[in-house]
Amino acid sequence: MLLFAGIPVAALLLLPMVLAEFQRIFVAEIFIWGLFAMSFALVYGYGGMLSFAQAVFFGAGCYGFNLGTFYYGFNTWGAIISAVVAAIALAAPIGLIATRARSHHFLIVTVIFSVLVYMILSSGHWRWIAGPYVTRSLTFVPEVPLGFVTLSYSNEIVVYYFTLAFVTLTVGLCALFVSSPFGRALVAQKDNEMRAQLIGLNIILLRFTVFVVAAAVAGLSGALYALLARYTNLEFFSWSYSGLAVVMAVIGGVNSLIGPFIGTAIYMVAAEHLSRYFESFTILIGIILILVVRYTPMGVWGLIQIFLKKASGA
Amino acid sequence: MSEVIIILALNGLVWGLIIALIALGLSIIFGLLEIINVAHGDFFMVGTVLAWAIIYFTGNFWIAFIIVPLIGFALGAMIERGVMRPIEHSADLTIVVAFGLSLILQESVRATFGSTPQRILDPIGKTFPIVGFQYEVYRLFAAGVAIVAIAGFFLFLHKTKFGTWMRAVRQDREMAIAMGVPADRIYIVTFALGTSLAMLGGVVAAPITSVEFRLGLDVLPMCFIAVIIGGLGNLPGTAAAAILLAFMEGVMTAYVEPTSARIASLVLMSAVLLLRPQGIFAKARA
Repeated sequence: MLLFAGIPVAALLLLPMVLAEFQRIFVAEIFIWGLFAMSFALVYGYGGMLSFAQAVFFGAGCYGFNLGTFYYGFNTWGAIISAVVAAIALAAPIGLIATRARSHHFLIVTVIFSVLVYMILSSGHWRWIAGPYVTRSLTFVPEVPLGFVTLSYSNEIVVYYFTLAFVTLTVGLCALFVSSPFGRALVAQKDNEMRAQLIGLNIILLRFTVFVVAAAVAGLSGALYALLARYTNLEFFSWSYSGLAVVMAVIGGVNSLIGPFIGTAIYMVAAEHLSRYFESFTILIGIILILVVRYTPMGVWGLIQIFLKKASGA
Repeated sequence: MSEVIIILALNGLVWGLIIALIALGLSIIFGLLEIINVAHGDFFMVGTVLAWAIIYFTGNFWIAFIIVPLIGFALGAMIERGVMRPIEHSADLTIVVAFGLSLILQESVRATFGSTPQRILDPIGKTFPIVGFQYEVYRLFAAGVAIVAIAGFFLFLHKTKFGTWMRAVRQDREMAIAMGVPADRIYIVTFALGTSLAMLGGVVAAPITSVEFRLGLDVLPMCFIAVIIGGLGNLPGTAAAAILLAFMEGVMTAYVEPTSARIASLVLMSAVLLLRPQGIFAKARA
C-alpha cells in the first residue's frame, strides 16, 4: 500500500519537470479547485449535509484575501490567514442556523444563504467589502516571504510547489480530522442519526464543527485562487459555483478526500479540451454526472480502489 | 405615493400567484417523491423559452399557452421514468441528479436560444385605468390563469380518484400499495404534473418578465422560501406563503430597493425555520 501512496506523491513532486509553464499553472489550479471540491466532500461525504453554500466560503476566501492586502497591507501569509478568518466568520452564523435544519431543509437553507450573500454583495451597498475587488491593493506584491529567502509568485514553479504544499498540508490535516474519534462520530451521525443520538453524541455540535472546518478549507482554496489569479469575481459566491464543487466531488467520489481531486482533474481537463470542439460541453458534464450517480455512486476513486484491491489481491 | 403602492401591491400579487403555481409543483414533487427538485426553476425557464420560440415561429401566444404545459407533462414523465426512478431510494442522489438536469437544461437553452435576454409582446395589448395608471389587462389574465390552475389542482387532488390515490401514497406509501394503488404510475404523474405546473407558470410569466437561460436561478430561491415558510410538503401553506411573500415584497419596493425586500423575506424565512420548522401553516395541513 505504501508503494501505491508513494508513486503519486513522487509523481506530483516531479510533475513540473515534464510540464510547460502554462501547464504548471493549470495543474496548480486543479489543486485549488480540488481543495474546494474536497471541502464539499467533508460536509457531504463525511457530515451527510448536502451543502450548496461552499461557493460562499470560497468567495469569502477570495475577498478576505483581498481585504487583508487592501486595508491592512498584509503580505501573502497574513492575507491567507485573513481569508480563512473571513470564511469562518461567515460560516459560523450560517452554520448556526443551517445545521439545525433537517436533511431536506438544510439544502434549501444553504441555497438561500448563498443567494442572500450574493444579493447583498451585488446590490452595491457595503462597498467597503466589494471595494478591494474593484480596486485592488497597489502595494501588494505576490511573493512568498520565507524569512531567509523571498520567492516571487510570478515564477510558476513557485506557484506550483506553494500550492501543492498548502493543499497537501490541508489534505493531511483533514485526513487526521476525519480519522479522529471526532470524524468517526461524524460519520456515525451521518449513517444513523438516531443511534448516534442515543449513544450520546452531540449531533448539532458535530455538524456545526464540520461545517465550519469545511468552510475554512473552502476559504483557503479561495485565498490560493486569489493569490494565483490576482482576480476575484462576484460570481464565485453564486450557488452555481457550489454546484461545481458538487459535480467535481461526486464524479471523483465523495466519500474520500482524494476522490474530489480526481474528479476535479477529470472535470478541468475535459472542460479544457471539450470546450474547444463543443462550446456547450456543460451538457455533457450534466449527463456524466447523472450516469456516475446512477452507475457508480462511489465515483471514479471508488472504481480505482476496487481495481487496486483486485490487483493487489491477485 | 399611495397610488404607486397600489400598483406595486398588484404587481406583487400577480407575481405571487405565478410563484405559488410553480412552488406547488415543487411541493407536490417533494411531498410524494421526496425529491428536492433543484431543476424546478429551470423547468419554469424552459417554459418561458418555449413560449418565446412558439411565438417566434407561429406568432401566436395562445398556441404556446396550450402546448407548453403539455410538453412539460411529457418531459416530466420521461424524466421521472428514465432518470429519477432508478435512484428514488436516496434523497441526496436525486438532488445531485436534479442538479445535473439543471445544468443540461440551462446549457441546452443557451446553446440554442442564446444568452441574450428576449422579451415577449403583451399578447392582449390592452390596458385599463386604475388609480391614475394604465394597468395591463394581461397581468390580470395571468393572475386569473394562476388562480384557475391552483384551484383546479386542488380539485384534482381532492375530488378525483387519482388525486385521492396521490394523497394516499403521500400519507403511507406501503399501505397504499397494499390497497392496490398503482404507486409507480402515481409517481410518474406527480412528477409530470409538477413539471407541467412549472412550465405553465413559465408561459404565463413570459410576457411580464424577460426570457433568458438564467431565469430559473432567480425563481427557485423564491419557491424555496415559500416552501419553507408554508411548510415543506404542505400544499395550501406553500401557495399561501408564495402569494403573501410576493405581495409583501411588492409593497416593500415602494419604500426600499428590491434587494432589501428580498432580504426581508430571507430573514422571515430564517425566523420561521428556527421557531417553527414545520411552517407557519402547519395546522392547515391538507
